[in-house]
Amino acid sequence: MTRALGSRIAHTLGVAAPFAFALAIGAAILLAAGFDPLGVYKLMVQEAFGGDRRIAATLTAATPLLLTGLAAAIAFRAGIFNVGAEGCFYLGGLVAAVVGAAVPAWSSAPAILVALGAAVLAGGLWLLGPGVLRASLGVDEVVTTLMLNFIAIGLTGWLVNGPLLARGSANSATPLIAANAELPRLMPPTTLNLGFVISLALVIAYGACSRFAVSGFRSKLVGMNPRFSRAVGIEPGRIFLAMMIVSGAIGGLAGGIHALGLVHRFVGGFSPGYGFTGIAIALLARNTALGLIVASILFGALSSAGANIQLFSDVPIEIVEILQGAVMIFAVANLGVFWKRRRGAA
Amino acid sequence: MNERKSVSVRIGARGLTRRYGSLVANDGIGLAVRPGTIHAIVGGNGAGKSTLMRILQGVDSPDEGTVILDDEPVRLKGPADAFARGVGMVHQEFMIAAPLTLLENLILAREPLGRDGLIDWRAAEAQATRLAASAGVAIDWRRTAGDAPIHVRQILEILRLLYRGADVLILDEPTAVLAPSQIEELLRLMQKLRAEGRTILFISHKLEEVMKCSDAITVMRAGRVVANTAATATSVDELARAMVGEATPVVRVEPCAPVGSEQLLSLRGLVARDPLGFERLGPVDLDIRAGEIVGIAGVGGNGQDELVACAAGILAPLAGSIRFAAVDLAGAPAARFRESGIGYLSADRAHEGLCLCASLKDNFIAGRERDAAFSRLGFLRPAGIRAETAAALQRLGVRYGALGDPAGSLSGGNQQRLAIARELAREPKLLVAAQPTRGVDIAGTAFIHNLIAAFRDRGGAVLLVSEALDEILSLSDRVACLFNGRVVGELSRSEATVETVGRLMLGRKAAA
Repeated sequence: MTRALGSRIAHTLGVAAPFAFALAIGAAILLAAGFDPLGVYKLMVQEAFGGDRRIAATLTAATPLLLTGLAAAIAFRAGIFNVGAEGCFYLGGLVAAVVGAAVPAWSSAPAILVALGAAVLAGGLWLLGPGVLRASLGVDEVVTTLMLNFIAIGLTGWLVNGPLLARGSANSATPLIAANAELPRLMPPTTLNLGFVISLALVIAYGACSRFAVSGFRSKLVGMNPRFSRAVGIEPGRIFLAMMIVSGAIGGLAGGIHALGLVHRFVGGFSPGYGFTGIAIALLARNTALGLIVASILFGALSSAGANIQLFSDVPIEIVEILQGAVMIFAVANLGVFWKRRRGAA
Repeated sequence: MNERKSVSVRIGARGLTRRYGSLVANDGIGLAVRPGTIHAIVGGNGAGKSTLMRILQGVDSPDEGTVILDDEPVRLKGPADAFARGVGMVHQEFMIAAPLTLLENLILAREPLGRDGLIDWRAAEAQATRLAASAGVAIDWRRTAGDAPIHVRQILEILRLLYRGADVLILDEPTAVLAPSQIEELLRLMQKLRAEGRTILFISHKLEEVMKCSDAITVMRAGRVVANTAATATSVDELARAMVGEATPVVRVEPCAPVGSEQLLSLRGLVARDPLGFERLGPVDLDIRAGEIVGIAGVGGNGQDELVACAAGILAPLAGSIRFAAVDLAGAPAARFRESGIGYLSADRAHEGLCLCASLKDNFIAGRERDAAFSRLGFLRPAGIRAETAAALQRLGVRYGALGDPAGSLSGGNQQRLAIARELAREPKLLVAAQPTRGVDIAGTAFIHNLIAAFRDRGGAVLLVSEALDEILSLSDRVACLFNGRVVGELSRSEATVETVGRLMLGRKAAA
């Protein structure tokens, strides 16, 4: 009993430790730059969580991260290191924006469903290639999905500058989507929208599936030991392919929700690296649903506070980026091990 | 080393206790190994040998009691600490970097450096040659470790410990993977090392070897030391009784049901490659009927692994057919083999037979998660899974803590019982059993043999592949001998003896 509790504490500390390390590093940098770290951190907490509007801004910022984190976690759990969510995000965003601008004056629900469905399809199909290559020929998915990111960003960038450029616009942007395709806002005038609820629900559904669904069980076994899975009759290739496609679909949906919920169009430089941040979030969360939610909100808080902190103090926004980077670095290390080892020795 | 001669206990333990949850793996262990001796630790699976060795090597730490080194109680901080005190271990699974050469493996992390700060290969090779010569073995140091035969890799591990200056060598079941002639070689090497003043802790459950080479013997059972004796003061029978406890199981497996008339499995012209692309098997023809055990005898590496992998659907054959219940399965995925009614007991329990990091429950239902008992409408039924797993594990006498514990928390013999529980629960028509009792103790072996025989008597067919000839002989209704990838002879139960099978295994013709 105490042992089980001990391992749970170790686990929690292992997850929390990257943030502690990152905060310490950030404090050192702030101190060196002549700022008061505690003051800055206090200001950041206030900016991220002080009041309804600020919480809404944090949750809005967390929305794309929930889904890109989920996309990464689904793949990692099955033992495939898919880093292609960024590309899917771009494609899904573009497709949803184009469909959203083209839908006739339907009522809102079908318009949104069609646009998001198209984004899901685009993301899933985009990773079909890497999935098939991995499943049938064992081609390393890190290389293929990473390279497809560049292709997706280049492709959407060209489309939005050429054939899909909004008439009369000088910037690379598609026309605004139809009003009926916009995701409804939850707390006007804040930008928090239905996308957050959809994302949260999907992450919770993922948590339930990974514990209770047959598909989640198979995916876990294949991720732990593909040789064993094969011997008991679960074809790892099929799981790899299926999870790659689902992961891509979620990445596409993330982009679609971002387009319909927040940006209301597709623009060049659509994502500030949401797909890659999602990888860090999934690693930090150890692929658990609860971890995904907590990590996404924390990263969301960092970015929403970061935007404001520059307005109200002379702390540069780069400090927030340093914090994010530091968290990501420590996220990869399994810091819970240290705690366990020390306990074992004591 | 001279000062160490004066101590009376080079390595040992006092009142050592280690618990894993509710399981007491080591219970008040006392051990005293004199310097310059070969001290054997014998005991069945789950006796606590491996736990004790992990603690002596600093990998694990005791809950109570202490490790003794040179008569002094010490608290080891880790394997590096143990090593600094001269204690090194050769694990059952070798710690070798397969893509590197044997020489590179030897000097890894202790490379001799030249004045320019680069590795001095000439010095390394000279040292390696000296080491091999002093140990009385011939080694081609430039060979890639992954290509070297298994006994050479093991000798490399021992030489590496010597290279790094260890004088206490812990060998964890070193003979389990070796052929008889290689075992002789290993025992000679151990005796040579003892003559040089080194201390050897030798873990085994093969009593003949233990009697042959040890000075002192400690017997463990269920986490306790049950006997401490000099080798000259005991016998194999006495050790066996101490190991097994009161009720000595009798290995007696006789066929009772008539063999079916139809061929269940028919292999024709089967050819297969090993992972390195070498055509290791075939062409082979083999038939198995319902209700019979067909044993495959052969010296390791003569195509058994490939035969098993083909029959289980893990490996697609290069040519030939695998007809099972009148359907050709050659080239079909493993899942189809299983759906058709083929069960598979892998020789590689740790990586293929079980998923050690997954729970007992997960291991038990793996591959059957779609069954109505375990899931409905795509969702698992935890209560059903728990009940069936608990019942099956109890039937097979598996010693475990909780159903949610990882399979890796079980001892080797209990792991094998778990794997068998899963395979038999599927009620297959054919069981492909590869090394079913490798690393399993006497009582566990008898139990597993009885399970396999009972399966046969219910009308099941068994393809039994084993390196243990007595296992093949005691179980098989028919013995096929593999040599160089081909079946060189088939013997009925009455014809098969150690002599006849042994001759075929070595590629000689059966006696006229």
